[in-house]
Amino acid sequence: MYKWLDERLDLHRLNSKLFRKAFPVHHTFFLGEITLFAFVVLVLTGVFLTLNYEPSIREVTTPDGQKLPAAYASILYIDSLPFGAVIRSLHHWSAHIMIAAAFLHMIRIHLSGAYKKPRELNWLVGIGLLVLAIVTAFTGYALPFDNYAITATKIGYEIGAAAPWVGGVLVNILFAGEFSNTNTQMIPRLFSVHVLWLPLTLIALIGLHLLIMVKQKHTQPKYAERVSPGKILGVPALPSQGIMAGILFLVYVAVATLIAGIFLAHPVQAYGPPTANTPAVKPDWYFLWIYGILQMIPSNWKFELLGATFGPQFWGGIFVPTLIILGAAAIPFIDTQPHKQRYLELPSQHPGRTSFVIGMLMFYIMATLAGYKIDLNLPNALLWVLVLFVPILTGVVAYVILRAFYGKASQESQVGGLQGSAADD
Amino acid sequence: MEHTEHSIDPVQEQQEHIKRRAVLQAAIGVGVGLSVLSTLYVGVGFIPKVVITPEKEPVKAGDVLVWAQGAKAGQDITPADLQAAQKSDPPFIIAYPKNPENNVVKSQLATNTIMVMQLEPSSLSPETAKYAAQGIVAYSAICKHLGCTISQWKNNVWHCPCHGGEYDPRQGAKVVAGPPPGPVPQLPIKLEGNRIVAAAGFLFKPGADV
Repeated sequence: MYKWLDERLDLHRLNSKLFRKAFPVHHTFFLGEITLFAFVVLVLTGVFLTLNYEPSIREVTTPDGQKLPAAYASILYIDSLPFGAVIRSLHHWSAHIMIAAAFLHMIRIHLSGAYKKPRELNWLVGIGLLVLAIVTAFTGYALPFDNYAITATKIGYEIGAAAPWVGGVLVNILFAGEFSNTNTQMIPRLFSVHVLWLPLTLIALIGLHLLIMVKQKHTQPKYAERVSPGKILGVPALPSQGIMAGILFLVYVAVATLIAGIFLAHPVQAYGPPTANTPAVKPDWYFLWIYGILQMIPSNWKFELLGATFGPQFWGGIFVPTLIILGAAAIPFIDTQPHKQRYLELPSQHPGRTSFVIGMLMFYIMATLAGYKIDLNLPNALLWVLVLFVPILTGVVAYVILRAFYGKASQESQVGGLQGSAADD
Repeated sequence: MEHTEHSIDPVQEQQEHIKRRAVLQAAIGVGVGLSVLSTLYVGVGFIPKVVITPEKEPVKAGDVLVWAQGAKAGQDITPADLQAAQKSDPPFIIAYPKNPENNVVKSQLATNTIMVMQLEPSSLSPETAKYAAQGIVAYSAICKHLGCTISQWKNNVWHCPCHGGEYDPRQGAKVVAGPPPGPVPQLPIKLEGNRIVAAAGFLFKPGADV
């Protein structure tokens, strides 16, 4: 059988070229894999959901005589199927895990300096993937068509509409016209975008991300430099890495299903179909920091320019996130070092970069805290201090501490690192 | 030698060749570019046509305010209802306009969501009182910030639960807290018997300010 296939497909060459690819082993290298596993689970659970979901708001009568929008009623139907609620919940939690894992993966790359030449391109693809994953998650918000989902999506719609000049056209295309509970084209449009077009784009970008990674090879863990300098150290993709990844996938499915079973996500029955009343909504954690900033921006930050309005919605919802995304994309072009990057850099030996990451994390935490402004009754002035000064303070303190503890080691290793990389090339 | 028979020397010939190539490449490039651009016209179809049905017409003078939801959905709001609402939470009623000629409730336009409440007439600012009747005021319920329905009452003013915007209905829905970029428009009303009737359309454009 193997011989038969080998003669036709040249499996031998594939085996020696691709499947023997050396995978360096380090526990932080699994973050990217977990992101991929979450995506696979999202696709599989998504297939189940699409087979039972009705993307329409036509009025249907349920067996017990209620008149409900079809999309909402079909979610109730999914929840009534064997394991239906758990699978829907698994879809929900996997989206959270995918975004969280992608974010941690990105922090790992940042902290270890693995974004540097020649990997700038993959850093950019990675940022595109993270943004696209978040947009994809957002387009799934409205599909359950309950009161909570509709309100949360409405906020996103208006943020999109606040984009200067292009916002109106953009949201008209994405939401099939005005956002409204009675817009019959909106749910079918969001459905096809959420289950077809964005996932296809994600698959293409994931493929590109992995291809570039295979071509450029992994960065090597620090110990590889000690064990065998200048050589690629790792386990072969098949069978060793394959088995590890397989086991990790099963562990992922097990843990995610456990979470999904214990914490059933988004109780549509409790929220009820859309009404004129707005429930007190909170976005998912990855939007909470934007939500927080939106609450801090005062109402008088507003001016008009060439027919576009730059209001509080623009500053909080568009300007700040865009600035952060562009800043992240610029990192490999700001931090340019002449040598080829082969080994992971230890965060302790790069105090400037590490304390910057810690400061940014503190910014997210503080902006997220601002999302609880109403619940905790926090005054606006305090929030501004927390969001602006605490991250800077944290960064400076982290820098001082890192310098004090690792300052000497850092100098030695930088010399060593330079020699090591010169030997590589 | 072949070249000796030509009047053009090889260097010049090569330059001619490069020029021809550049012209051809430019022609192909423009052709491909135009055909790709022309497909963008399909994109016009991504924006659905807006069809104005009687349910989607904006509120106008003469419309009667009816309950938007609850057991009395679709029924006229009476001053007695508003007095009863004063003691409940929230102390106001969410309304839709109804066209009295064909009895169609205009519920399919989000910006037709209206908050109507009765306040102490003496507490209203003169400008607000001008468009009120016996202390009854009506405003657009769609928050100017990001389009949520304001629909809550906190700190003795209207409260939008989405980002904490607060509007004072006694002073023309002036923003008293939170990020909304401006007040929500008032709907001038008058009383006709037991009905609350719009005396005109909204004073300015309702809906999120983007």
